[in-house]
Amino acid sequence: MKATGGGAVLAAMTGYAGRVTRQTQGGSVEGPIKIGVLGPADSPVGQSIFNSVTLAADEINGEGGIGGAQVQVVTKDTKQDPSTGRAAYQELTTGENVDLTAGIFTSEVLLTILPLMAQQQTIHLTSGAATPEAPQQVAASYDQFKYFFRVGPVNSHYLGVNMVDFAKAEFGDMGFSSVAVMAEDFKWTEPISAALQGDLEDTGVDVPYNERIAGDTQDFTPIYDEIQSQDVDAVYTVLAHIGTSSLVQWAKQQRPFQYGGIHVPAQYPNFWELTTGATAYVFAQNTATPQVGPTDQSVPYANAYNDQFGGYPIYTGYSAYDSVYIYKNAVEQAGSKNADDLVEPLEGTSYTGVSGTVEFYGRDSDYPHDVKYGSDLAFPLWYQWQPAGDGGTPAVFYPDSLADGQYEPAPWTQ
Amino acid sequence: MVNLVNIAVNWLLLSALYALVAIGFTLIFGVGGVLNLAHGANITIGAYTAYLLTTSLGASVWVGALGALVVPGLFSLALYQGLVSKVEEHPITVMILTLVTALVVEQVFVVGVGTTPRTVSSLLRGSVTIAGTSVRTNRLLVFVLSWVLIGALFAYITRTRQGKAILATSMSEKGAAIVGIDDGRIFTLTWLIAGMLAGIAGLFLASFTSAQPFIGRSPLLLSFSIVVLGGIGSIRGSVIGAYLVGLLDVVTVSMISTRLSGLLPLVVLVVVLIVRPEGLFGRELVE
Amino acid sequence: MAGDTSEGAGHLLSPTALPRRHQAGLLGLLALAVAPLLVSDIDTLKLTSALFLAVYAMSWDAVSGYTGQISFGHALFFAAGGYTTAILNVHYGVSPVVGIPLGVLVAALAGLAIGVPALRVRGPYLSLITLVAPLIVLQLFVYFSGFTGGEIGLLGVEQFTPDPTANYYIAFGVFLFALAVFLAVTRSDAGSVFTAIREDEDAVVAAGLNPAKFKIFAFVLSAAVGGFAGAVFAHTVAAGALTPSQILALTVSIEVIIAPILGGMGTITGAAVGGLFFWLLRDQLRQMETVIPLLDVAVKQVDLLVFLLITLGFLFFLPEGIVPRLLREARRLGSQPSEATTTDGGRSPLEASLDGFRDQFERLRGGDRK
Repeated sequence: MKATGGGAVLAAMTGYAGRVTRQTQGGSVEGPIKIGVLGPADSPVGQSIFNSVTLAADEINGEGGIGGAQVQVVTKDTKQDPSTGRAAYQELTTGENVDLTAGIFTSEVLLTILPLMAQQQTIHLTSGAATPEAPQQVAASYDQFKYFFRVGPVNSHYLGVNMVDFAKAEFGDMGFSSVAVMAEDFKWTEPISAALQGDLEDTGVDVPYNERIAGDTQDFTPIYDEIQSQDVDAVYTVLAHIGTSSLVQWAKQQRPFQYGGIHVPAQYPNFWELTTGATAYVFAQNTATPQVGPTDQSVPYANAYNDQFGGYPIYTGYSAYDSVYIYKNAVEQAGSKNADDLVEPLEGTSYTGVSGTVEFYGRDSDYPHDVKYGSDLAFPLWYQWQPAGDGGTPAVFYPDSLADGQYEPAPWTQ
Repeated sequence: MVNLVNIAVNWLLLSALYALVAIGFTLIFGVGGVLNLAHGANITIGAYTAYLLTTSLGASVWVGALGALVVPGLFSLALYQGLVSKVEEHPITVMILTLVTALVVEQVFVVGVGTTPRTVSSLLRGSVTIAGTSVRTNRLLVFVLSWVLIGALFAYITRTRQGKAILATSMSEKGAAIVGIDDGRIFTLTWLIAGMLAGIAGLFLASFTSAQPFIGRSPLLLSFSIVVLGGIGSIRGSVIGAYLVGLLDVVTVSMISTRLSGLLPLVVLVVVLIVRPEGLFGRELVE
Repeated sequence: MAGDTSEGAGHLLSPTALPRRHQAGLLGLLALAVAPLLVSDIDTLKLTSALFLAVYAMSWDAVSGYTGQISFGHALFFAAGGYTTAILNVHYGVSPVVGIPLGVLVAALAGLAIGVPALRVRGPYLSLITLVAPLIVLQLFVYFSGFTGGEIGLLGVEQFTPDPTANYYIAFGVFLFALAVFLAVTRSDAGSVFTAIREDEDAVVAAGLNPAKFKIFAFVLSAAVGGFAGAVFAHTVAAGALTPSQILALTVSIEVIIAPILGGMGTITGAAVGGLFFWLLRDQLRQMETVIPLLDVAVKQVDLLVFLLITLGFLFFLPEGIVPRLLREARRLGSQPSEATTTDGGRSPLEASLDGFRDQFERLRGGDRK
């Protein structure tokens, strides 16, 4: 996982040198700058975070570091478990005295380290965890929790809004007049379920089924039986932990409805291989694909990542990569790595990276320090897994400005 | 509101599967006098054996099924011979040892294969229509095969010499010893059978869900309730218990909340243990 | 244990005259007392968690190691204490000073709730109930997650202080308190009754005592102290967020069985040592970068598996536990004139309790087994 100097060379060659949007101001910063990264080490989402931070750090070091100070990266495994995550966070802060923590992925872990974050007064730039409760804590008690920022993804509320926006724009073309909503019963999906009940129907779609499925569900047959009996055109999912088994069973059972939505495993670039093609015709939301991204830096980053680590990054990687540069800019602007000095510069961020253009909601908004959702800011794209050659590829079909393919219903439903 | 036929069909099918698992558990308890908390591991091993045979070796799903029968049986055997038989005089030690073993098996698969659920091919594809409702053929096959196995086991226990020896040992070890039954062999046989049944149940279960390292946990928990309700050592009790527990769970999930799945069987377990520990058919083998 | 009572009061006043194992114990306590001054903050944090596990382990040993009623779900009591005070604090603003005693009360009630059925139900059946009870509670927890915080845990629990050293001494205080209470009870006449219940309950009845009262007492005491530890834990180590995985999950119950077994069941001190050792071992494995030769993975990637295998090894090859084994070795090597002969027939406590189990089981099954 440790990157070599080759990363820096590659970075220079592919034109990353011009990434900094602000010049170094004032004095240099005392180094080294330690970045502690949290994530599930045995999972591709975690590895994407670790690798992307490392990639960004190597590039930055190759160009002189942050304000002249070299960057060191320390990674810790959360195992997606609150206890382990908290111990890992303590090891990074109390143990290693890191200047910044990044990553995390699991909403449950993020929420349990929030109180520690307030105690440690260390900036945390989140990648991967979507719970809106974190920025809501910032709103409730700004001075305590102001150290929290989220670079990506947009929070669950906006993920839900995006699902509605997408439905409004595309369901007509996709032939969906009624859908079943199936969300896994975890914290992060609660706002999405709420958004989908009311607002989705306002777009003209029928939602005769909207259920939260137990997090340890193994057998989806009864659920699909019931969905099928509702005669819907598709099941609109909000899944992460139980996404794979749900999808595989849909495919195996060749159900007469389409399948797609927010589906974290379907965002893995190698998901086709992982499911031996069961993911065919599934449509999903994502930050980017290896071939298509929100900015013109997205694809070069993905390729650089692939060259270095063998395999393309998952959406968490894009935000993690951007978070390092966002931090760099704030530190250089403030001329200090002291967390309290960085809050304001961070709040003023407007950075176009690989995950989109990142700006944060202000102190008096509903979700302070959360990445802003908007079609020219952070805006998910939608694609469908389609057969290609003897494998499969994600074909982006929304938004139109980024589309490189078209949606096709699953053949057995015709 | 979903089709009642659908619910009934699912209930009938799944309960047969849980009965397969519970029978092995109750046999070990009834014959050997110990609670094998690693019984769920047989399920996991069965599921993954089938997965590995069919994907890595490209074998047919029936070869996978054979593997799911044999490998867990051997594991169960080895567990008994290697670990449990040395401490079988102490049921609590056996519980602790088997519990840790169960966790070890889970972790072996977490580390070796990963936590991502793996697809195990169905034995048969497609669906049939029963009573106006569409049923996956695979689930129907699983139902039939489960009953075939249960029937075969019952016949074995009541008709063959070895089977009757098992029966005798569970009634009275001393008595069995007097007539020359080697209870070491009987215990070994029982563990082997239990492993095989749970192993094939693992394949069945994985064929319509997926293979994942913790697949053995909830069937094991349900087995506790089933065995306690049905009475230890009683095959008939396990089958009836499985259908009762299955009914409880299906009713909870469809009428109360999916989030309470698995709760009522556990409550029933506690209540039965306190009120009527011998269950419905406890000591049934003592006719 | 039977040998201790032969020492006179004079001995107690002079540390150098204490038996070697008591000296070792005192040294250990001394080391724990000064630890924060010698180690880094992060290690102090870790030792604090280890101390709590040691207390949990002692509470388990006090009932299961002594009376032989093996509890497979002791986490229920810790969670009863911890969650009571945490819920009261977060939802009703109740101060820990009031919340903690209430937590102890609820835990004691839970101990009663388990202890009473324990009278009717024996051996593996009781263990099954204790295994399943926390699972039921956990599921209800998740169902009522709005109130309990579900799998994420309860956020916003008031913490006494964020300072690692202060938290350590609070934990150490709880540890000393629990140690004192359990040692006092188990070395007293009540403790002898506990042991007697494990060995031969009929003899206890024949002696005119009511084993039921003692069994319930053991459970309630164990639950109360465990609940006390859980409640203090909620306001210290939990650092603002109390999660089931720290205090209610099955893994906690299993840890609390293995730790005393490793350290030596039925001794209290063994449980304390076992708890500390166990926690630190797990933490070490979690960080170990050493690569395992054939498999080509770092230990920390497979730390749980390695830990479980080590545990299995211990269970199989060293069933009596570390402390009794060390004592035996020390006795062989050194000279301890004041060691009286053991009155338990030389069996280790685990063996003795398990033999007792087997007898109970025989009776349950109709007494026809060999």
